[in-house]
Amino acid sequence: MLQDSIVRSEANATDRGEPIIRLDHIRRDFDTRGGHITAVDDVSFDLFPGDILCLVGESGSGKTTVARMAAGMLKPTRGHVFFEGKDIYEMNKEEFGNYRRAVQIVHQDPYASLNPIHTIGDMLRAPLLKHKICKSRAEATKRAGELLEMVDCRPVENFIDKYPHQLSGGQRQRISIARAMTLNPRVIIADESVSMVDVSIRVSLLNTMLKLRNELGVTFLFITHDLAVVKYFAWEGNIGVMYVGKVIEYGRTPGIIGRGFHPYTRALAAAIPEADPDLTRSKEKLQLRSLDIPKLTELPDGCVFHPRCPYWIQGLCDTTKPPLMRMPDGRLVACHAVQQAVERGDDPRDLAVTDQLANQIMRE
Amino acid sequence: MTDQTTAAMSRAEKDRVRGTAESTAPVILSVRDVSVEYKTQYGWMKAVNNATMDIRRGEAIALIGESGSGKSTLGFALLRMLVRAARVSTGEAIFTDREGKSYDLFKMSDKEFREFRWAKCAMTFQAAQNVLNPVMRISNTFYETAAAHGWTDKNAVKAKTLDLFRKVQLDPNRVFDAYPFELSGGMRQRVSIALSLLLDPELLILDEPTTALDIITQRAIIDVVKSLREQLDFTMIFVSHDLSLAAELADRVATMYAGEIVEYGPVRDVFYRPEHPYTVGLLNAVPPIVGEEFTPLVAIPGATPNLLNIPSGCPFHPRCPWATEICSTVNPGLRDIGGTHIVACHNSDKVTRDQEVWEGMEATSAAG
Repeated sequence: MLQDSIVRSEANATDRGEPIIRLDHIRRDFDTRGGHITAVDDVSFDLFPGDILCLVGESGSGKTTVARMAAGMLKPTRGHVFFEGKDIYEMNKEEFGNYRRAVQIVHQDPYASLNPIHTIGDMLRAPLLKHKICKSRAEATKRAGELLEMVDCRPVENFIDKYPHQLSGGQRQRISIARAMTLNPRVIIADESVSMVDVSIRVSLLNTMLKLRNELGVTFLFITHDLAVVKYFAWEGNIGVMYVGKVIEYGRTPGIIGRGFHPYTRALAAAIPEADPDLTRSKEKLQLRSLDIPKLTELPDGCVFHPRCPYWIQGLCDTTKPPLMRMPDGRLVACHAVQQAVERGDDPRDLAVTDQLANQIMRE
Repeated sequence: MTDQTTAAMSRAEKDRVRGTAESTAPVILSVRDVSVEYKTQYGWMKAVNNATMDIRRGEAIALIGESGSGKSTLGFALLRMLVRAARVSTGEAIFTDREGKSYDLFKMSDKEFREFRWAKCAMTFQAAQNVLNPVMRISNTFYETAAAHGWTDKNAVKAKTLDLFRKVQLDPNRVFDAYPFELSGGMRQRVSIALSLLLDPELLILDEPTTALDIITQRAIIDVVKSLREQLDFTMIFVSHDLSLAAELADRVATMYAGEIVEYGPVRDVFYRPEHPYTVGLLNAVPPIVGEEFTPLVAIPGATPNLLNIPSGCPFHPRCPWATEICSTVNPGLRDIGGTHIVACHNSDKVTRDQEVWEGMEATSAAG
């Protein structure tokens, strides 16, 4: 409930009207061969028009599961997904249809997500005609051309009659974005949408998406494991850092990336090499107690991160789950050690290493 | 300076000069005009075009490039592990071992090469899970590899393997008798690195060693490779699309584009004073993670060329903001610009990190 009140009060304070999408304490369980797992546990956030929210985390953190629930592709085991104030699972058919049209997904793999036997024009025309956005084939073709222009596929003639195999990975991903834009969505959920694209192309793809946000007000829920991409794309937005199903830190991008509070956020930022030889070789490192993410079937008691955390507090972190708490600078952090530092009036990054000995053994 | 004085140099001195113009370490691998082609239904496709580079003993070389740049193909060609549809069409690669014996990699018989590979020069692959036989215990993979090279003393192999596991920070007792599926991706990658070092190779080639691993696991692999280099004496070539990995691990960096090495030099020269527009473009496209300042990024316009239809002249000229007339007709070829920094660009003296140069281009060219 604590998290609930915090997220809500932020919403009221900024008075941004009603969120387009509200995830309210969503949880998702799966029964796997290995046992019962909770892939996402008690995640809440609001997306307002024009927001950019990035969910970052390693594999198994639940970020894609959150995205699928936000898109209505997966029903939460507990909790609610609201679209414009209405629970999507209490909508009538028409309302649900509107929601599905308003929230579109761009997938990770541009080689798998485009049907190889259709031309780009066919792919873009089909939804336009089916949803009666365009009345005739000619009108749909014209609109398809505009969509291609919108995603910087110029000149349009070079694309519209092509098949996916005739395009590069970056071009295909642009087509995926154009297709997601056919129904004038208000939200785009991009799941690792640039991770399979080469570096030199990645920036222009991100620029195209930023343009959709800045010019058309499209809201983005962006899922990625790449902090460099997040830093660029979500500079004006928010980041939620996820770890085995939970959001452990949430706030404005610059502070989270540049100065994370949660030990896991800091470990991620410290682990990434920089494209600068002197910088990367002198970068502050954060040594974790264990390299391995716990199995989702055997989650530790207390804070799920404590078995890896160099700052864990014995008797607290291994018994009590830390709630997401608001920090003085406005971000939310779920960490006992950070919370205690803040209460003492200390720098939340200046934490005491719990057991030096264990740390040294790891290093050897 | 003779080899004797090199040997007498202090460790710190060796570390300081390694990968710089001052290095006097002997050349372990000399690659000359190597071209590799793949047979396709449209004809022979040139994946590597006249690659030339010298690799000095003890150095770490990064081959950096995007998909289709030929970086992995070059790595595979050096170990003669290309698929059947590929051939080395020109060039030679001469390996000189510790004792000064030379091996012509592309002229050795298959039998000679089987003895050479892994003993002198080993490789770890991108998909470590596919390297380890799923129905074989890790221990048997090590025994089998050793036996293939005539090393049949199982106790000695086991002792060596356990030692390597400790060096790559694996729990030896847990891993030795495990099956690959019992290990995480990062652990399998470390097993694969240990396997490549089983026969004390002088040269290790790593193909995308951290790709597809989680961030913290990547860091573990990087740290393992670093500590291995401090403890063991091997030369390393690693192939990656990740510039930051090169910044972290390499003594020298080679940038590849459309099958050509377009820049090769000491890591700090390439990162701080890049002379090839493509290297500059790559550097402009990756932000630093540290710091609370926004870093504007600039995309390289256009897309990487189809290797069946590589642009004339300099292959990068259609995407290059500094391109002049000569660039579309004459391939610049690699040229030494001093300090063992070589670059293939007609206009390298004009190239700067100034981002504005690129901005006009992005708007006008077809997006990639």
